Amino acid sequence: MPDRYQNRIEILQGTLDLLILQTLAWGPQHGYGITQAIRANSNNVLTADTGSLYPALHRLERKKWISAEWQLSENKQRVRVYNLTRRGRTQLASERSRWSKFTEAIAGILNPSGNEAEP
Amino acid sequence: MKFFSRDDRDSNLNDELQSHMNMDQETRVSRGASPEQAGLDSRREFGNAGLVRETTRDMWGWARFERLAQDVRYALRLFAKTPVVTAVALLSLALGIGANTAIFGLTNALLLRSLPVQNPQELVTLGMLTPTSTSDPNPIFTNPIWEQVRDHQEVFQSAFAWSSQQFDLSQGGESHFTHGIYASGSYFLTLGVKPAAGRLIVPGDDVRGCPGVVVLSYDFWQEQFGGDPGAIGKSISLNRHSFEVIGVSGRGFTGTEVGYGYQVAVPICAEAIIDTRPMLDGRSAWWLQLMARRKPEISPEQLNTRLKVFSKSVFESTVPANWPPDYQTKYRVRFLVAAEASSGVSLLRRAYEKPLQLLMGVVGLVLLIACANIASLMLARASVRRKEIAVRLAVGASRARLIRQLLTECILLSVAGAALGLLFARWGDLLLVRFINVKRQQVFLNLSLDWRMLAFTSAVAVATGVLFGILPAIRSTQVSVASAMKGSQAQDGEPRSRFRAGRWIVASQIALSLVLLVVAGLFVRTFTNLISQDLGFDTGNVTLASVSFFSLKMPPAEQIATRSEVLQRIQAIPGVASASQSVLTPLGGIGWNDNVVIDDPSAPKGDDALVDFNFISPEYMSTLRTPIMEGRNFDKHDVEGSPKVAIVNQAMARSFFPRGNALGSYFKTGDDPKKLFGPIQIVGVMKDAKYGSMRKAAPPSAFFPLTQIPEPESGGVFEIRSNLPAATLLPTLRKVFAEVNGSLPITFQSFSKQIDESVTQERLLATLSGFFGVLGLLLAVIGLYGVMAYLVTRRQKEIGIRMSLGAQRGEIQRMVLRDVAIVLLVGVPVGIGVAAASAKFVKTMLFGLAPRDLTTLFGAAIALAVVAAIAGFFPARRASRVDPMLVLREE
Repeated sequence: MPDRYQNRIEILQGTLDLLILQTLAWGPQHGYGITQAIRANSNNVLTADTGSLYPALHRLERKKWISAEWQLSENKQRVRVYNLTRRGRTQLASERSRWSKFTEAIAGILNPSGNEAEP
Repeated sequence: MKFFSRDDRDSNLNDELQSHMNMDQETRVSRGASPEQAGLDSRREFGNAGLVRETTRDMWGWARFERLAQDVRYALRLFAKTPVVTAVALLSLALGIGANTAIFGLTNALLLRSLPVQNPQELVTLGMLTPTSTSDPNPIFTNPIWEQVRDHQEVFQSAFAWSSQQFDLSQGGESHFTHGIYASGSYFLTLGVKPAAGRLIVPGDDVRGCPGVVVLSYDFWQEQFGGDPGAIGKSISLNRHSFEVIGVSGRGFTGTEVGYGYQVAVPICAEAIIDTRPMLDGRSAWWLQLMARRKPEISPEQLNTRLKVFSKSVFESTVPANWPPDYQTKYRVRFLVAAEASSGVSLLRRAYEKPLQLLMGVVGLVLLIACANIASLMLARASVRRKEIAVRLAVGASRARLIRQLLTECILLSVAGAALGLLFARWGDLLLVRFINVKRQQVFLNLSLDWRMLAFTSAVAVATGVLFGILPAIRSTQVSVASAMKGSQAQDGEPRSRFRAGRWIVASQIALSLVLLVVAGLFVRTFTNLISQDLGFDTGNVTLASVSFFSLKMPPAEQIATRSEVLQRIQAIPGVASASQSVLTPLGGIGWNDNVVIDDPSAPKGDDALVDFNFISPEYMSTLRTPIMEGRNFDKHDVEGSPKVAIVNQAMARSFFPRGNALGSYFKTGDDPKKLFGPIQIVGVMKDAKYGSMRKAAPPSAFFPLTQIPEPESGGVFEIRSNLPAATLLPTLRKVFAEVNGSLPITFQSFSKQIDESVTQERLLATLSGFFGVLGLLLAVIGLYGVMAYLVTRRQKEIGIRMSLGAQRGEIQRMVLRDVAIVLLVGVPVGIGVAAASAKFVKTMLFGLAPRDLTTLFGAAIALAVVAAIAGFFPARRASRVDPMLVLREE
C-alpha cells in the first residue's frame, strides 16, 4: 500500500513530545501502543517513527514528565508502560497552549483576511 | 528511583524494543499475515534497530561521560603499554607538583590562612608610631599602656593583649620549655574561642594579685593529660611555680601568633608570680602585643583617625617618669595605628616571607622543566603513534575529538602526578617545618589540607596537563593522512618543524635549569660564606649550660656564690679543658648594649655610640679561644670594689680611638648624660668577634668582668670546652648542678648548634635551592638526552646512508653533538640573561657576594654545559655505532 506511506506526514520537530504527552493523558501506554494511538487518532496521517519515538520517550522520562514501569501484557509479554506524571500534566497544558497559539499564527498567515477558510 | 547498572539498562532497552516488534508482529498475524511475513514486515517498519538503540541511549545523558570514560580507558591502556615512560613522566610530575604544593603549603600556613576564630577579618593588630618615624609601627607595648587601652577605649568592639613566652614545665633541674602566652582577660572573649573543657581566662581572672591559673591548648591537653577532663583542677608547674588548670581552649585554636602555637595560657597578672621585676607597672617594660576587634561600621581610615585622638590620653598618662625630658616629649606624641590582622601576626612570617616567595619561584621553574620534559616525551610518542592517528583520522575521527583524547591522556597523567605530589608535599612540609625548627622556639604550623591548597594543587595539575599536552596534541594531529599511511617511518612527509619543536623545548629547559643553578649557586655560596667566616671564637667542643635564677628568688650574693661553686666544680671535671661563665653568648638571640661616652668631641654619637656588652669570667677568652691582641685579660684582682676595667674589641678601639690609643683609655656608659656609669679603663683589646648576627661584621663591643656588673643578672651561661662526648659530659654536668642546687633551672646546648640555628634561614635556602637546582638540572638533562636519543633513532636511515657513503664515526658523533651545541648556544645565554635580570630580587638575601656574581654565573653555565655534553655523548655514540647494512636492509 504505497499510497498510504505517501499520505503520511513527518511529525514536526518538537510536536512529538506533545503527541506523546497527549496520548498518555488518556491512560498508561507502552511504546507500541503510543505509535498505534497516534496513527489511529490522526486517521493514519501521522506516524511516530521508532527512531524518534524511543529517544523521545527516554528523554521525557529523564525530564520526569513521564514515568515508566515494566508490566505483563495480556499475552504474558514483558512490556514497558509509560505513565504521565504530575509534572508531565503541567507540561502538557503549556505545550497545548503553545501549539494552539502556533496554529492560530500559521492560520493567520495563510488566511490574511482571517474570515474565510480556503476550500 | 532505582539506579540501573549500564548493562541492566541496555538489556532492558533491548527488551523494550523487542516487545514493540513482537506486538507489531502479533497485530499483523491477527490481521491474517503469515508469521514469517509479519516478522519481516514489522522488522522493516521498525527500521534500523541498532540506530534506534544508539540514539535512545544518548538520551540517558551519559554520552559525554561515556566518551570521557572511553578516553580514560584508552589512555590507561596506553600507559600500561609503556610503563617505564609513564613512570618517569609520573615521577617527574609528582616531584614538580609536589614541590610546588609543599612550598605553597608552607606559604599558605604562614602567610595566607585566616586565624580559626570568629570573623577573623575584623581583627586588627596595634602598633605605635611617632609623627616623624618612617619605620614600621612598633608592635610591643607596656602593661600601663595596655591598661589604658583596656579601660578607656571605645574605638573597638573589644581589645586584648598577650605576650609570648617560653615557660619551663620542669619542676627541678634541667628545664623543659614550652611555648606559652600571658593573655589578658579579654583574649579568648574577643577572639570568640570556646573552651573544650573547663573554662577560659575571663576578665575576672586578670586582676592584680591574681592566683596562678592556666588554660591549656587542646593539643597540650591531649599530649599531657590524654584529653582527660579530670585535668581541670590539677596543677602544672610553670617556671617552677604551681598553676591550677582551669580549662582547655577549643580544638584547632593555637593563638594569634602564626608559627608558634601556645601550649599554655596564663593571665597577664600572673606575671607577678613568675617574675620579680615590676613588669606590670613598668612604664618602660615593653613586652605586650595588642590586638582588637574592629567595629564593622568603622572603616580602617576612620579607625586610625579615631585612634590618633584616643592615643593622646593613653600616652599622656603613661609617660615613664625616669626618662630624660626630651625622651618624654617624644613619648607623649606617640600614637596608635591599627593594621589588618585576619591571619594573625608572626615573627616567623617576617623571617620567611621573602625566602618562601623565592622558593615558590624556584619550584615553579622546576615544574616548568618537568612540563617541558613531558611535552617532549609526548611529542616523541605522538610521532610513534602517527600511523594510528592517521588511521583514526582517515576513518572519520574529528581532529577535535583526537585532541581531546590526547589532552585527556595528559590531564590524567598530571592529575595522577598531582595526587602523588600531594603525598610528597605532606611529607616535604613536615620535613621543612622540622628544618626551620630551632631549639629556642618550636615551630608549629597548621599544615592541614584546606580549600586553598586543594584549589592550588588542582589548578597546577590541570594547568600542567594542558601546558605539556596542548602543543604535542595539536602537532600530532597535523598529520598528512596520505603520507603517514604510505611508509613505515616516512620521514619525507613529516614536517621538520617537529624536531625543531623538540629542540626549542630542550633549549628552554636548559635556560630554566641554568637559572635554577645560578640561584642554587648564589645561596649555597651565601651559606658557605656565612659559616666559613672567622667568627672570632672557636665553637668546636664547647657546650653551653644556661641557668636562670628567676624562680629561686635567691639574694644576689648567694647567686654569685652558687655560680662560682658550679664553675669551680665544672673546671674540676676530668676531661674539661676549660670552663667560664658569662651573662650571654654570641648569637644566642639576646644582647645587651648601651651608649659609650668618651672625652673626645669627635667620638661617635647617637646610635653610632651604641656598643654591645657582655660580662664574663676571666676564663671566657681561653674557653672560646678569642685572642687578646693587646693588654691583659681580667684576673682575680678585678673584683667588685676594684677600679672598673673593660676589654674592648678592635672594632670599638678603631671607632672610638682612631689614633690607636685605646689601651689604657677610659670611657663611661649610659644614655642619660647626668647618670653615666664609670669611668671604666680599657685594659685589653681583643680580636673582633661576632655578637648578635652572622651577617653583620663584628660590632664595637666591650666586655666587663662579671664581678663588676652594675645590676646583677638572674640568668647566665656557662661555657665548657671539653673533648668528652656529650653522652658522658652532659650527665656529669647534670650531676654537678644537682649537687650544688637541685632546683636550679638549666638548659644545655652545644655552641656550634647555637651558631647553626642562627643561620637556619640561610641553610634552608641553600639546601632547597641546591636540591631544586640539581633536580632541575637532572630533569633538563633527561630531557636533552631523550630528545637527542629520539633524534638519532629517527635519523638512523640517514646515518646509515651517510656511513655507507664513507662518513667516519667521528663525523657522525660530531653531527649529533652539533645538535647539543646548538641547544646549549641558545639556552645558556638566555638562562644567563634571565638569571642576571632577576638577580636584583635576591640581593638582600645574599652574603659575601654580588647578585651578579660572575663566578657563580659562569660556574653554573660551565657545569650545565659539561653535564649536557655528557648527556649528549651517549646518543652520539649510539649514532656512530649504527650498522649501515642493517638500516638499509630494512627499507
